[in-house]
Amino acid sequence: MFISDIRKEFYEVVANQRVALLVSSDIDALCACKILQALFHCDQVQYTLVPVTGWQDLGTAFLEHKEQFRYFVLINCGANVDLLEMLQPDDDSIFFICDTHRPVDVVNVYNDTQIKLLIKQDDDLGVPSYDDIFRDEEDEGDDSGNESDGGSEPSGKRRRFDEGAVERRIERQRERREWEARRREILFDYEQYEYHGTSAAMMFFELAWVLTKDTKDMLWWAIIGLTDQWVHDKITHMKYVTDIATMQRHVSRHNHRNEDEENSLSIDCMRISFEYDLRLTLYQHWTLYESICNSCYTSCSFKLWTLNGQKKLQEFLADMGLPLKQVRQKFNSMDMTIKENLRDVIEESSNKYGMKDIRIQTFGVHFGFKNRFLASDMVHATAALLESTEKDESDSDNFIKALDSLSRSNLDRLHSGIELAKKKLIAIQQTVASCICTNLILSQGPFLYCYLMEGTPDVKLFSKPMALTLLCKYLLKAFVHSTRNKRCKLLPLIMAAPKDVEKGTVIVVGIPPESETSDKKNFFGRAFEKASESTSSRTLHDNFDTSIIELKTEDRSKFLDALITLLS
Amino acid sequence: MFCEKAIELIRELQRMSDGQLPAFNEDGLRQVLQEMEALYEQNQSDVNEAKSEGRAELIPSIKLRHCCLLRNQRCIRPSLRIRALRWEYGSVLPPNIRFHMCAEELQWFGQYKKSLASFMRSLGGEEGLDITQDMKPPKSLYIEVRCLKDHGEFEIDDGTVILLKKNSQHFLPRWKCEQLIRQGVLEHVVS
Repeated sequence: MFISDIRKEFYEVVANQRVALLVSSDIDALCACKILQALFHCDQVQYTLVPVTGWQDLGTAFLEHKEQFRYFVLINCGANVDLLEMLQPDDDSIFFICDTHRPVDVVNVYNDTQIKLLIKQDDDLGVPSYDDIFRDEEDEGDDSGNESDGGSEPSGKRRRFDEGAVERRIERQRERREWEARRREILFDYEQYEYHGTSAAMMFFELAWVLTKDTKDMLWWAIIGLTDQWVHDKITHMKYVTDIATMQRHVSRHNHRNEDEENSLSIDCMRISFEYDLRLTLYQHWTLYESICNSCYTSCSFKLWTLNGQKKLQEFLADMGLPLKQVRQKFNSMDMTIKENLRDVIEESSNKYGMKDIRIQTFGVHFGFKNRFLASDMVHATAALLESTEKDESDSDNFIKALDSLSRSNLDRLHSGIELAKKKLIAIQQTVASCICTNLILSQGPFLYCYLMEGTPDVKLFSKPMALTLLCKYLLKAFVHSTRNKRCKLLPLIMAAPKDVEKGTVIVVGIPPESETSDKKNFFGRAFEKASESTSSRTLHDNFDTSIIELKTEDRSKFLDALITLLS
Repeated sequence: MFCEKAIELIRELQRMSDGQLPAFNEDGLRQVLQEMEALYEQNQSDVNEAKSEGRAELIPSIKLRHCCLLRNQRCIRPSLRIRALRWEYGSVLPPNIRFHMCAEELQWFGQYKKSLASFMRSLGGEEGLDITQDMKPPKSLYIEVRCLKDHGEFEIDDGTVILLKKNSQHFLPRWKCEQLIRQGVLEHVVS
């Protein structure tokens, strides 16, 4: 069931209890977790935090902790599957689920006792009504009773009576069949597309605000959670802008409180400001040139994998009057005169080159003399740490490192994250360039397909779901810009990359087609399931996002064939 | 010069590394005590002389001897060696330390323990307050800890059991975690 008053029905319930937090491995979940931890520290609620990376992990964690805990809070996992059936909990376990995955499973919505959804009821849901899906089973008894009577004694009067009863029975059965057919259709429509709702971090920030325990740190984490949804293309542009407006209200409320003429804040205090900043990834921590070359937006607009594109870039820089020497320098050491109007200058020139949205609304934070970060910088840094592929580091090690990097006191971790993010971005751009130049993207009819071979440089980075999804999106954008085939521009893309060489598996990701007004709804989750069933391929649907699966390398071709048949 | 023996005893104590105790230097102690006795007798006779014959110029030397006596007394105090051990090791001393203490020191230690315990009981309401837990007053009752290695199940005061798995984080009462932090199983997370 949906919770209407998050303070009474969630926070006050768990305030005196011990809680188990099961947190999924994405940035939004990490931010939500930080906010909730801060609230729990404030009120001294004892908790245990366990990172989970997939359904199997969730099941194991639940089994381990079910004896000791009665209250479970699941962050960014658990809403899109029948949780009670999967975990088989005892009757007194209560689950609070704050998940951005949609659609929410109908059983979770209509269960009144054990599942509490920390989701706003109108958050873009479209849940079918109760009567359309669930029906009392009383009618069954009548039908079967009549049937057994009807066959045994066919006397005259009885027969006439029976005929009436038989007719009614037939009518009821027909009704029932119709109802079931309608139900299947409704459920199919409801569950066909997978998409994302409001950020979990924003939900918990709202809880903090209702409790009037919100701080600037929590506000910053909520902003990072929202920006993560935008960077990884999980929400539509409209939704992003709406949510930014909500956050902007909170930011101005916090700023207004502190700064006035008599007591201006010390330079070490944290300041969050609204920025209408450039869409150049990590540009303040890199060189401007590198940032332009490795940001998806600019790289695709210029087509930097072609010679022509490189020339255009040089023209672009010349047009702005930026000397190459300056542009190749670290941003912090660039000439002050250049840095001053950089944004406006770039915006003006980009308009000439067809890049209308080079600037995007976002937020930045500023504490101390040296530390300035944009929200997207933090997202990239933390994502790189979360999916770092160093040896001897398990997923939970990475989770802990990424969680730490979100605190202001762990700046060196954040900086190491930024370095890793730069490497990742360079790897993505190089892979995109090589895929396009060697025509690795094949049109399979209803979708485009690309397979990264084992020997490809940096292919280890792409064995992780978020990195592969990012690569997928950049590749699709680049492909759309570079191809002449009008039909291919509207196709979705499926990408496969080796995941585990020893086990011989590949990770497969499917993303919806690229368009300006895309609603980011992904149908590959169901498609993968059906294809896997029909070919009995050995697949593992472990990720919380159903459009990301693991598949045995040998089954790749038959799986693809099944998909093609399914989708054409 | 006076008090040299006492200083040597202190140097000996300092020479040993932390947490260990040099063997009880009975000879050294006796020498210091003898010196103190000699000084005291000299002082006594001088005081009598000064009083009876009014020789004021003896007074500085009396003062000097008195100071030396006091200094010797301070240097050989048992608490110098032993009091800190109670805070370091708790109420049961490890055998290798006990070996180096003489009987009187052990007795003194027992009495010190008792008086500390009755003091702690008198604080903080009914149960008393264990002030040997923290050297400085703690900032909060609960701390956040991270598990560095798999430790299995861990029981806390109200009977609930926590599973300590690698890389899980917990928010637990401070006093329960201290021991595990010292053992290296948990790590205090300061954010």
